Amino acid sequence: MIIIDGSEGEGGGQVVRNACALSLVTGQPFRIANVRGKREKPGLMRQHVTAIEAACAIGGAECEGVTVGSSEILFRPGSVRPGEHRFAVGTAGSTNLVLQTILPPLILADAPSRIVLEGGTHNMLAPPFDFIAKAFLPLVNRMGPRVEARLVRHGFYPRGGGRIEVEIMPAPLRPIECIDRGALLSVSASALFAGLPLEIAERELKTARKFLDWPEEAFAARELPADRGPGNALLLEAAFEHGTEIVTGFGKLGVSAESLAKTAAQRMAGFLASAAFAGPYLADQLLLPFALAGGGRFTTVKPSQHARTAADIIALFTGRRFVFRPIEDGTHMVECTT
Amino acid sequence: MKPLTVIGFLGSTLDASKFGPTRWSKWRPSVGLTMHEDLRVDRFVMLHGTAHKRLADYVAADIADVSPETRMDLRVLDLVDPWDFEEVYGKLLDFARSYPFDPEAEDYLIHITTGTHVAQICLFLLTEARYLPGRLLQTQPRRGTSDGAGVWTTIDLDLSRYDSIATRFAAASAESTSFLKSGIETRNSAFNRMIDEIEQVALRSRAPMLLMGPTGAGKSQLARRIYELKRLKHQIKGPFVEVNCATLKGDGAMSALFGHRRGAFTGAIADRPGLLRAADGGMLFLDEIGELGIDEQAMILRAIEDKRFLPVGADQEAASDFQLIAGTNRDLGTAVAAGAFRDDLYARLNLWTFALPGLAERREDVAPNLDYELDRFAEREGLRVGFNKEARQRYLGFATSPEASWLGNFRDLAASVTRMATLSPTGRIDVDCVEAEIARLRRLWSASAGVDGDAALLDAVLGAERLAAIDPFDRVQLAETIRVCRASRSLSEAGRALFAVSLARRTSANDADRLRKYLARFDLDWPALQTV
Repeated sequence: MIIIDGSEGEGGGQVVRNACALSLVTGQPFRIANVRGKREKPGLMRQHVTAIEAACAIGGAECEGVTVGSSEILFRPGSVRPGEHRFAVGTAGSTNLVLQTILPPLILADAPSRIVLEGGTHNMLAPPFDFIAKAFLPLVNRMGPRVEARLVRHGFYPRGGGRIEVEIMPAPLRPIECIDRGALLSVSASALFAGLPLEIAERELKTARKFLDWPEEAFAARELPADRGPGNALLLEAAFEHGTEIVTGFGKLGVSAESLAKTAAQRMAGFLASAAFAGPYLADQLLLPFALAGGGRFTTVKPSQHARTAADIIALFTGRRFVFRPIEDGTHMVECTT
Repeated sequence: MKPLTVIGFLGSTLDASKFGPTRWSKWRPSVGLTMHEDLRVDRFVMLHGTAHKRLADYVAADIADVSPETRMDLRVLDLVDPWDFEEVYGKLLDFARSYPFDPEAEDYLIHITTGTHVAQICLFLLTEARYLPGRLLQTQPRRGTSDGAGVWTTIDLDLSRYDSIATRFAAASAESTSFLKSGIETRNSAFNRMIDEIEQVALRSRAPMLLMGPTGAGKSQLARRIYELKRLKHQIKGPFVEVNCATLKGDGAMSALFGHRRGAFTGAIADRPGLLRAADGGMLFLDEIGELGIDEQAMILRAIEDKRFLPVGADQEAASDFQLIAGTNRDLGTAVAAGAFRDDLYARLNLWTFALPGLAERREDVAPNLDYELDRFAEREGLRVGFNKEARQRYLGFATSPEASWLGNFRDLAASVTRMATLSPTGRIDVDCVEAEIARLRRLWSASAGVDGDAALLDAVLGAERLAAIDPFDRVQLAETIRVCRASRSLSEAGRALFAVSLARRTSANDADRLRKYLARFDLDWPALQTV
């Protein structure tokens, strides 16, 4: 039984999701005490309950304490059941967080799966669908499995109601190296909007132009059906030879179009100026598959506390550790050791 | 935690919105409550009128988006007038009674933000009465934003869960119990526990109470304090009417209690309302209720149950709504067994029965009551009297010793204090004064007991001169006969009691005559025994 103190380290929800995924892969039960102990509202929130329930459903697991507000959970994994699954996520949750929880066991399962996820696809609590599909999954596929995700319908906060479909062809994970991202192939800035005035999207694009010296045709406003709204996101994408990075600014009440566009554009400019392969979000996501592959390394900008906590949890289940090491070009090398 | 069910009305105004994306920027209580990360609603029973079906479906679809965990359960509840209390309450009560609540397996929140004020009041009342076995859920918009989720809080009507309120209640309750004890800090735990119970009963119940205890144990005083406590808490408005049933004898008893019409009998020269009428809206304290005649008992029972009774000589019933406290120093259970007390009245009185212990059983309370009596004396006489330290020790030493029988209980203590205070003109009670008082108390209690008790009784009835002419052999028999006569309502009843064995053997034909002749030997008759 692996015992985790949820009040240690960073990222309460991530600890829960990673622990579920790792438990299903390694077959080890775990208990988390003080779930999200450091948060203003401690204990499990709805989205965590949904993620754990999804893990139970695909993993035949038995759980205790999986209720909103619970501060201690017990998770005993069963055998993973690949196949057709459908999960729906409530308003503030994200389909991508559920995917994060169930993907690792399913890519290592003994049969393909087809997953339908309904709920938020583009909200500020998680990387948007585009990031998963273009930045993260291609790297997973390079490690062996084949995972394809399709966005059927956008789901913004607060309404949710989006839908994504994911096809998974499992395969053993093999270590890869993501050191050199290669040459910049293409860039794009798209401002999605639904049920809101076009003007918001135009202001975001105008602001982004000031910080990104990108060709005019890279900037585009994209209107989605009004009944999906209200919703707005600015997606900045840079595709390199060996990898893609997506930075997102989410429109929300009380934040001006200019402000969110400026923050997102500056982050993208910073990434472009560095030589790192992975941005901070991608770095977080890569740790788990790299550990399950039993090796590999990648470069990233600056490892977050979030990433270090994730590495600690991974070490508890797999015994594999990550070394974070600054290198000469100002980036950091993250290496999985066994 | 168990699955959560929310029950609430569709807000025909608050939950309504434009049918477009802007609705998400408006706070809609029913939708908003399913949007919180820290509130998972597994089932939402939403009550709505037929006229609002379209809105209900629209809201339900939005809830399905933001909260796929929630199973929507739309129920039509048509109200002719949603502002009519009777209708709304009745229909919600029907709903509550028919809903298969299972509080062991599910938690319930009753959403009171939507619906008319009348609906909110009814939901509150039904929740408080536990017809709806849940907590109240209130939701509100987040001020100054267009956040659709808003804020939620639950209200638990179990007030003991709120520390500051519980503290205040505890203080108020302590105040009330202290009030019942006339501020005397009694130490006897059994007595204190009983007072705590009386405090709760007094403030929560209008049912009759029965105070049992020996003479002087403070029944009358306690009854008055209970009345005053109820009046302080605005639970009673009318007067406090106190009657000692032992003083109600013969024909006068009926009329004193229930009143009479003018001309109902000889001497009834005017209407008399009676004590029950006088107690209308207030409290009637019937002390020594065991002394009440069988006929009066029947009338009292009807007056308690129906709040109606028939005055003597009247054609029409009179009404009076009073709360009853009864006092007795007899064991009413035995009286019922002997046929002297109605079992149905006893059953009615026996709901809240409190046995007041005598002072001898509460020796640790002698000291606080001594101080109380000194205060009362000071108030009454305008003279504050205190003990010397030594004198106080001596007095309390005697008063709490097994030797002190306190036959007359608090009455004895009050009299004792009055005597000592009066005999101490300097305002200090000294050891000599205490010694003299202890001697008096010893005499008093030994005289009241046994053969000396007979002597005192006969002395009172016959006078010392006539008593001296009676043989000690006869004294014992006569004293017992007088006691039985005084406890009976008629010569015949006393006769039946005194010659019960002969009666059972059918060897005695006329007990009353036999008794009359016996009394005549001592120049005594029935009226003489009743008046002395």
